[in-house]
Amino acid sequence: MDNMLHSLALAYRNIKRAPLPYLLTVLILSLGLGMFFSNATLYYWLNHDPLPQKSQTLFYPQINTTMQPCDSCNEPLRVLSYLDVAKLSRSDIPSAQAAMFQSAGYARLPAKANQTPMPVSLRVTQRDFFTLFNVPFLHGERWVDDSARRELILSKATAERLFGRSTVVGETLQLGNELFSIIAVLDDWTMLPRLYDVANGLGASASADIYLPWETAYDLGIKSNTTTMSRDSRNYNENFAVNGREGDFYQAQFWVQLDTPAQVDAYKTFMQQLVQSEKEAGRHPRPEANRLTNILDITEHFNARNRQLDAFALVSLLFLLVCLFNASHLALNRYLASQYEFGLRRALGASRAQLQQLVLADVMVSSALAFALSLLVASGAMALISTLLPATRSLTQWSPQMLLAMLATAFAASYLVTLYPALRASFGSLNRQLK
Amino acid sequence: MITLTNLSKIFRTELIETHALREVNLQVNEGEFAALTGPSGSGKSTLLNILGTLEHFDSGDYLLDGQSVKGLSDAALSKLRNEKIGFIFQSFNLIKDFSIYDNIELPLRYRGLKASERKSRIEQALELVGLHARRDYLPGQLSGGQQQRVAIARAIAGQPRILLADEPTGNLDSLMARQVMELLEKINQQGCTILMVTHDPDQARRASRHIQIIDGQLHDSTLYDPVALAKGA
Repeated sequence: MDNMLHSLALAYRNIKRAPLPYLLTVLILSLGLGMFFSNATLYYWLNHDPLPQKSQTLFYPQINTTMQPCDSCNEPLRVLSYLDVAKLSRSDIPSAQAAMFQSAGYARLPAKANQTPMPVSLRVTQRDFFTLFNVPFLHGERWVDDSARRELILSKATAERLFGRSTVVGETLQLGNELFSIIAVLDDWTMLPRLYDVANGLGASASADIYLPWETAYDLGIKSNTTTMSRDSRNYNENFAVNGREGDFYQAQFWVQLDTPAQVDAYKTFMQQLVQSEKEAGRHPRPEANRLTNILDITEHFNARNRQLDAFALVSLLFLLVCLFNASHLALNRYLASQYEFGLRRALGASRAQLQQLVLADVMVSSALAFALSLLVASGAMALISTLLPATRSLTQWSPQMLLAMLATAFAASYLVTLYPALRASFGSLNRQLK
Repeated sequence: MITLTNLSKIFRTELIETHALREVNLQVNEGEFAALTGPSGSGKSTLLNILGTLEHFDSGDYLLDGQSVKGLSDAALSKLRNEKIGFIFQSFNLIKDFSIYDNIELPLRYRGLKASERKSRIEQALELVGLHARRDYLPGQLSGGQQQRVAIARAIAGQPRILLADEPTGNLDSLMARQVMELLEKINQQGCTILMVTHDPDQARRASRHIQIIDGQLHDSTLYDPVALAKGA
């Protein structure tokens, strides 16, 4: 410990000897690391498993039930109709299943008639949504069943924004022109990436403000504000409670939880049988194209990867390599300037291991500085990316594990930058350095 | 104590080979004060570097206290340098932003001595070289002679068996050189073996033994005399 403290003090003294070359080395390293961290952060959030404990059990079923005949249409639509959801929901194989879509509205407190309604994002869904994605409740409970009801579930942030508190179960809220009672408030919850919404290309956006029952949305004519498709001549702006339920109107995502491989196989068989019976009933004119996609494959399945971010990540990695090379060059000059001192230390009896301890202390100091500076650079870069690509805004955050990984990366980068120069300086011929 | 048997050293470049030492045989006993003399480029410093294990040799053998240094690992050589050998250089080689105390402490740290033991040894060494009052000075605040005395203190603080001095008075005026020589004699009287490279015949005469090197070969124990050599040429 005494020796390590001594080595750290020497590292500090080394900085004081030549502050400008040292600062330049750390700045270049920080720039490379900062750009890399910013892009790696987005890449990580977009590619990591948001529900590692159950992602293997979550699946997105699709069936090619569009009534419009098309022999060459071998891929089902991304979204389902109300009837598709109803048919798929008949299966009791999944341990949980929920249909959903995203919408938007305006909310305000009915007691404050003069209050300007606040724009809110809505998730229209069913009660199992909260089970499927492990959504935590702060107050209250989910809906008792999937029938239509004037009951809302609010996110904690929304409750606090509207009421100034989170204990709002039992309160009434006006959504559009309708009154609803609040039955639950969610705890802080973010699922990144929001894979259940990848069908709409919204994997990186924030969670909804308010959760509205599926059947109620159809009753009130609330439609998706992202993906909607109709394949018949009905007017879906009128009598949506009937047309939306009976027509060829597609807007729903549907997720099922299948806990075992046997359940997956059984569900596939169920889908085949369903399609077969639909064909027999003349309601499946298109080729059979059943899909059951795991949540971890959903981004690729919908070809929803953000290629721009992939390219940014690659460029930032190359930029980091260039920075490492340059920083190493600067470090080499710095170390060669103190080559004589390394030689002297060896002549006085320092082993190579003891010299490596000196290098290690130097690396620790430069890692700490480079890490702090690189976080600043990364924050700036992420702010810029968020401005250029607003959909990525919710991905610009760091978890403690990520910060630890970044610290380890900074240490490894500093060590790489220092390794070759230190070896050159400390393992050179001794007699030529001393006279 | 030191035994060199048929020891040779060749410096190689892409174009030429230079025989720095040729078949050198040498025995140095404990407590000797030997002066190593010879013209520039004759191999004096190379021999001193090999004795200090700062340089490898190509053939022959080098026994230190009966143990061959050939084939010793880097760690073993470092330990040997640290515990048995002290170096004094012509240009002092003090770390300029270290205090006198810190400079002397350096080899003791590498030996792994405790802080109290280091302190006691440093104070003894400073007492011997007469610089106790200047322990917190930086090398740049001392004269050349004082800096060399600090270097001597650093070399003897570890209580080495052998002191290797490469022209220790080469950068000093005559008064300071005399003081340094007196100090080395005092250290030798305390039992430390000293091998000193010098160009100065007067200093060589003060040593108990003279070893002359010309063209990498030990000739005899007569004193190297540049004037006589020039006449002979």
